[in-house]
Amino acid sequence: MNPVLEARGVGFRVGGADLVRNASLSLFAEEFTVIIGPNGAGKSTLLKMLTGELRAHSGSINYGSAAVEQIPAWRLACERAVMAQAARLAFPFTVYEVVRLGVDGVGRAKDRQSLHQMVAQALASADVTHLAARSYQTLSGGEQQRVQFARVLGQLKAGSSMAGQQVLFLDEPIASLDLCHQFDLLDTARTQADSGVAVLAVLHDLNLAITYADRLIVMKDGMIMAQGSPAEVVSDALLKDVFDVSLLIETRDGMPCILPQSRVSDRRLRGQDIQDSAA
Amino acid sequence: MNQSQDSKSRPRVGIASLGAAVGGLAMALVLTQCVPAAKAQTPSSERIVAAGGAVTEILYALGLQDRIVGVDTTSLFPASALKDKPNVGYVRALSAEGVLSLRPTLVVTIPNAGPPDTLKLISEAGVRIVQTPDDQSAAGVIAKVREVGRLTGAKPEADKLAAAIQTRFDALAKARTALDKPKRVLFVLALQNGRPMVGGQNSAADAIIKLAGGINAANAIEGYKPMTDEAVIAAAPDVVLMMNRGDPATPTPDVFALPAFSATPAAASRTLIVMDGLYLLGFGPRAADAAHDLMKALYPEKAAQLSVLPRP
Amino acid sequence: MTAVSSIDMDGLDSFVSRRRHEALQVTLGLAFAAIGLAVLSLGIGAVPIPPENVLKVLVAQAMSDGQILQGRDALVILNIRLPRLMLGFMVGAALAVSGALMQGLFRNPLADPGLVGVSAGAGLAAAVMIVLGERYLSGLIGKMPFAALPLAAFLGGLVSTLLLYAIATREGRTSISTMLLAGVALGALAGAATGLLAYISDDRQLRDLTFWSLGSLGGATWTKVTAIAPIILPLLLAVPLLARGMNALALGEAEAFHLGLPVQRIKGLAILLVALAVGASVASAGVIGFVGIVVPHLLRLVVGPDHRLLLPLSALAGGALLIGADMIARLAVAPAELPIGIITAATGAPFFLWLLLRRSQGFEP
Repeated sequence: MNPVLEARGVGFRVGGADLVRNASLSLFAEEFTVIIGPNGAGKSTLLKMLTGELRAHSGSINYGSAAVEQIPAWRLACERAVMAQAARLAFPFTVYEVVRLGVDGVGRAKDRQSLHQMVAQALASADVTHLAARSYQTLSGGEQQRVQFARVLGQLKAGSSMAGQQVLFLDEPIASLDLCHQFDLLDTARTQADSGVAVLAVLHDLNLAITYADRLIVMKDGMIMAQGSPAEVVSDALLKDVFDVSLLIETRDGMPCILPQSRVSDRRLRGQDIQDSAA
Repeated sequence: MNQSQDSKSRPRVGIASLGAAVGGLAMALVLTQCVPAAKAQTPSSERIVAAGGAVTEILYALGLQDRIVGVDTTSLFPASALKDKPNVGYVRALSAEGVLSLRPTLVVTIPNAGPPDTLKLISEAGVRIVQTPDDQSAAGVIAKVREVGRLTGAKPEADKLAAAIQTRFDALAKARTALDKPKRVLFVLALQNGRPMVGGQNSAADAIIKLAGGINAANAIEGYKPMTDEAVIAAAPDVVLMMNRGDPATPTPDVFALPAFSATPAAASRTLIVMDGLYLLGFGPRAADAAHDLMKALYPEKAAQLSVLPRP
Repeated sequence: MTAVSSIDMDGLDSFVSRRRHEALQVTLGLAFAAIGLAVLSLGIGAVPIPPENVLKVLVAQAMSDGQILQGRDALVILNIRLPRLMLGFMVGAALAVSGALMQGLFRNPLADPGLVGVSAGAGLAAAVMIVLGERYLSGLIGKMPFAALPLAAFLGGLVSTLLLYAIATREGRTSISTMLLAGVALGALAGAATGLLAYISDDRQLRDLTFWSLGSLGGATWTKVTAIAPIILPLLLAVPLLARGMNALALGEAEAFHLGLPVQRIKGLAILLVALAVGASVASAGVIGFVGIVVPHLLRLVVGPDHRLLLPLSALAGGALLIGADMIARLAVAPAELPIGIITAATGAPFFLWLLLRRSQGFEP
């Protein structure tokens, strides 16, 4: 199967520092890919290059057979949708209007009623229909995040008739969400993947990453350290080398499961040691 | 607009009522416009708008005040001018329709009246616009009087007035020769924040000081400019000259309390002369009288010799 | 704006159609107000002309009836009031639309058309013409006595905007915040130069500067109207194109790009069209304050921030507002007239303070 998006040896440099170095990856239809890595690993920078927002200083990024910098903005908008980290809105748009922005640009040629249908569907998928008349600026951070998700879903829907294959980029999409809505959002993203979209998300919660990802990409210091299925990638060595923590990893139903609680007991134990040696 | 009255429609109701209010007000204005103009018709055929204090003054001096249908804001003398005649605004910011609404046949202005587009529109409406010369000198005043007389068909009166003014300027020139020790005069236009704005070369103040037989202490400056405290001391004026706006009750600031002025010869003798602004600087028909009055104030010791100026 | 707090799927449809209905009402209301004010401003002025004569003149113009067109009434209506009305509407529309565009571009509801440096540059150029023109440029002024000052102001505004744009653009991307900061610096510089010119000016030139900086629609001629129309109209015609872009930009530049917008091209186009339109406005009517801030702000409260509605309504409301303000300017002290900038600022500023007070009382963040 051909990748929807393929990056080869991509690099980005600012002021002499390499934010991303020689990164290569492929995104496939129906696949949910998750990037993990500590702060400053270059996850967002890599994502921005893949979306076309930043121009890579080296390497190549292709959507199908076309290089990303060759694709006009309107065409790119049909082929991929991007949910960035917390977006501030300059004016008191209503939630309906914000989601409508997602379908307006791409769905320019469609009639008003079908655009409205797409907005309604996106609102429902992100569970924000009840907020439709509210001003975006008065919402909580989590609600705003869900509205942005709805907007992105709307854009995907509107672009689906124009592009054969689509990519959904999610940059820390669940950072402000409550547990219930974290699952809701990732479930919806999973559904998108199942319907043929290539999904790429940056997540910080390793357990959720393991749970939802078909493929994990691990980044550190601007480089891709490992990629593969969660079972292949997640190991004691990974946690130690990349995140600089030592935690217990259990395996349940063939999937790795990280136990943060082990750190608490570990610390208690170490505390005991210190007290012992002091005595 | 319909009558939906939930709280959300308030801004729109606001706009609607605002619109209605504007409309009503405007209607009222239309109605008042339909009432014939209240100002009485003048018997003469010529209807003159005078733009510039000196022009108005000359027209009054020629006895043509009944033909004036409008004056500008600088027409402060005689005081009745702005009281009796409609005010067309500042001479350099005239309104085309405003002037035309007075149905003038002639607009007489000082040089540089404007704005140019307005003057163009007025002349396109078939109204003659004439600018008078405005030299700040004896000859300039005479020329201005003759020009206004020629324009208004009052040539004999203008000739008579011009001759009288000439006689007075001649007498003034003669009086100047009698002065042995000219005094240094500093004209202070304004004292904003204690900083003096003075009249330098090529200002009307400079011209009138010279006519009055004085020396402009602010010779080093061009036009009206702020002067530093040290420059005031260096200028060493014997007399400080200021103006008021025709109202003698206006209190003049105590200039000699300011440090810069306290060190001048003028402070020593406490010589401050205050005169009416338009009278002093307007260079209208009364310019010779103004210079003469100033001369008398400058040289009180010679007042006896100077007291008489030929009357028209 | 948002009395309804919770909506179900059916509610969504009715919410959307209600919003559309409200927008239509406001549009019609503003259109009637604009037409009404336009008719009134043709009908009243310092020269009393009965309404039936106004009608007669307009009909005569349409039928080219020479008899009536020779009269004074015809001259006042066709050569003074009508061009003034057109100029006022165009300038008001241009300023309000430019204000709304600048607010969208800078993502700041307090942005003003002056931010792109037009006013500073135009002001300096005008001051140069007023103070130094007679001494050093008499040849030019002699050749075109009516056009020299507006032309200089227009060019000055355009040059300063292009300068700002060049300063703020690196590698094909224009940084809006750099443009804002550079605009402040350039404004201070132009202000200093204008101050220096004011210092060396004489009494009369100083008054000219003051009057120019207060704005006026006086001296509106058909020449002026036909000269600035082709400069302002492109801005008004580009409104539908720019509205979509401004909406997307409200989410942020990156998001606008993700939505498929040619961000750099939209920014460049908006800045160029605003610079041209505001330059033409300032050149023909001087500096008229507050229209660019108050009109879009008020409309946002009434119809919401959607630029597809906001921009055309700003044009309508800005034009109507300036026609109304000019009527006050013409009539308040007739036969003299007030600078229109005094009226827009005197009514705009208190209104603006009221808006801010309302907002600080927790109306909307």
